[in-house]
Amino acid sequence: MSGRIAGIPAAPGIAVGPVWRYRPRGAGGVPVLAVASRGEAELRIRRAADAAAAQLQALAERLCEMNRPGDAEILAAQALMAIDPAIVEEAVRLARGGMDPVEAVLAAAEASAQVLAALDDALLAARAGDVRDVAVRVVRALSGGHLDLPAVPSVVAADDLPPSLLAETPPGLVLGLALAGGSPTAHVAILARSLGIPSVVAVPGLLDAVRGAATIALDGESGEILVDPGAADLRALAELQVVRGARDRAAAALRGRPAATIDGQRIPLLANIRSPDDAVRALEAGAEGVGLFRTEYLFLRRQAPPSEEEQVSEYRRAMEAFGPARSVVIRLADIGGDKSIPYLGLREEPNPFLGVRAIRLAQDSRELLLTQLRAIWRAAGEAGVTPHVMAPMVATIADAQLLCGLRDEARSAVAATGAACPGRMVTGLMIEVPSAAILAPELARLVDFFSIGTNDLTQYVLAADRGNPSLGRYQDALHPAVLRTVAAVVAGADQAGIPVAVCGELAGDPAGALVLAGLGVDELSADAGSLDGIRAALAGVTGTELRALAAKALAATDAEAVRAYANELLGAKREGRPRGGPAITVRR
Amino acid sequence: MRSIDVEVRNESGLHARPAAAFVRAAARFVSTVRLANVTLGRPSADGKSIVGILTLGVEKGHVLRVVTEGTDEDRAVETLRDLLASRPEKAGQ
Repeated sequence: MSGRIAGIPAAPGIAVGPVWRYRPRGAGGVPVLAVASRGEAELRIRRAADAAAAQLQALAERLCEMNRPGDAEILAAQALMAIDPAIVEEAVRLARGGMDPVEAVLAAAEASAQVLAALDDALLAARAGDVRDVAVRVVRALSGGHLDLPAVPSVVAADDLPPSLLAETPPGLVLGLALAGGSPTAHVAILARSLGIPSVVAVPGLLDAVRGAATIALDGESGEILVDPGAADLRALAELQVVRGARDRAAAALRGRPAATIDGQRIPLLANIRSPDDAVRALEAGAEGVGLFRTEYLFLRRQAPPSEEEQVSEYRRAMEAFGPARSVVIRLADIGGDKSIPYLGLREEPNPFLGVRAIRLAQDSRELLLTQLRAIWRAAGEAGVTPHVMAPMVATIADAQLLCGLRDEARSAVAATGAACPGRMVTGLMIEVPSAAILAPELARLVDFFSIGTNDLTQYVLAADRGNPSLGRYQDALHPAVLRTVAAVVAGADQAGIPVAVCGELAGDPAGALVLAGLGVDELSADAGSLDGIRAALAGVTGTELRALAAKALAATDAEAVRAYANELLGAKREGRPRGGPAITVRR
Repeated sequence: MRSIDVEVRNESGLHARPAAAFVRAAARFVSTVRLANVTLGRPSADGKSIVGILTLGVEKGHVLRVVTEGTDEDRAVETLRDLLASRPEKAGQ
């Protein structure tokens, strides 16, 4: 059967190769080991547990060296779980009773996981997942370490894939990745992008379509998957690859030059980062600064908030990477919404996106924000730069005043210790709540800049939960209602003479970048990998064309029309990806 | 056999990091180590099992009973008592 199916593009590039289906345990994929004796089974279980513990400990040490102590701690605890006598002795007991060693390890770990999962404490209950992860690793060691890997370079097809599996696979073994589930923002997709593995996710009917197939080809840019492609298909893909290669090389050649239109309108391109390591990658991609440092990632996957010292070191590294001439905008931790932090003891809320989130934490977790602001002042003092900060989820004038108050209080505390402290902190507000957009003229008089978060702005303007897949048709940031809101924010900022940046996904999409630049947005901030594409798009147009595009976009009544106008200006060279949900057409 | 009661002073009780530190310390001794949460009155757990310790649900202020038995039981009970009574930064690594 040859077929053509489509999903959501998740990591660019074209991959062609044999299909290798990843089967998680419990899906009929549990291997049965041939063991000569029960004594041998016991020995193999103990050896596998030791090997898994050693692997985890080595990974923990590597993360420690990479300055990720929080992640390292979790792996170090997992190393102890691998050799936990409660699990190992139970597995050995089951194996002595005649159970297959693989099943014995899984059953013993599951018993422990269930005890943990039943605990009242949500943080401890979450450790149940760690125990199950560890069991899979022990099983892999038990099976000679090759259980979960393809034997030859392959395109991996799966319902979903644990990120750790992708992270540990030797380079070159996974040519491409096709997932029936997942989303472009899932961890495994983010990892695939950073590893340069072409990927397509959320492909309905994927596993049925690839059943019995020898080869698949996938295009991580269009989201298309070809099952058992014919010679003509392969030729077409090869040609596409040549065209794209030329396009990407031309775009990369513009790195290091300030982004601008043909007629010299400057649109600085900044990077969104989540760690100081990202800052280095952003510099290589030609970022002119950091427009969004997502500091909440420092708070995830750990048992307690990062200390002030630890934060100083992280912020300082990012600041030093860009130096005094280029700004690094640090966003106060955007905690709450879909990013919950168990150790803060926040109450569960029926509507977390409308709940105690981000700057709203100042009421109950004031010290959290103050610690962060002190760390930013100190880091800037040590790095010899002017700090830039912004607060997420600002809704009212009082929120903005609160931010300025905390900022000044943190400075006094740092200055009182005699530490080096810059004279001022460039202070901004994220505009993502409709009330803040409406109040833009007044808010603009209180701060130094705005940064529009188009992801949240879209979900709040259209009242559509961004995590709800059945509301996808309401989640396009190119909707004219969102763009008119952006235009109002730009107008409000102009009255006070402050600049406006956009740091949402829309800024990283060439079509979106053109529309935003036309609306008068001053700076665009996107993931480093998107910068080449938007730099090239801007370099191909004039300011007049951008303003004409923006005028048409504002007059439109739906996002599809806006995208069509923008693609027309882009030269319609890019293949459009299917909007409004993945389509499936099967050719027999 | 040695037995000793100690109050936990660590802010976060015996969550993953301090629990791991305890297990690592306990594993250095030949003696068996049992740990019970006197405050909650739960059944005791193997002190060399991180899963066992996590299930004790230990929070700051809880009283724990450490029971050691074996050739190095004295040194074991003292080392583990000091670890539990210490501040988080000491219990850490």
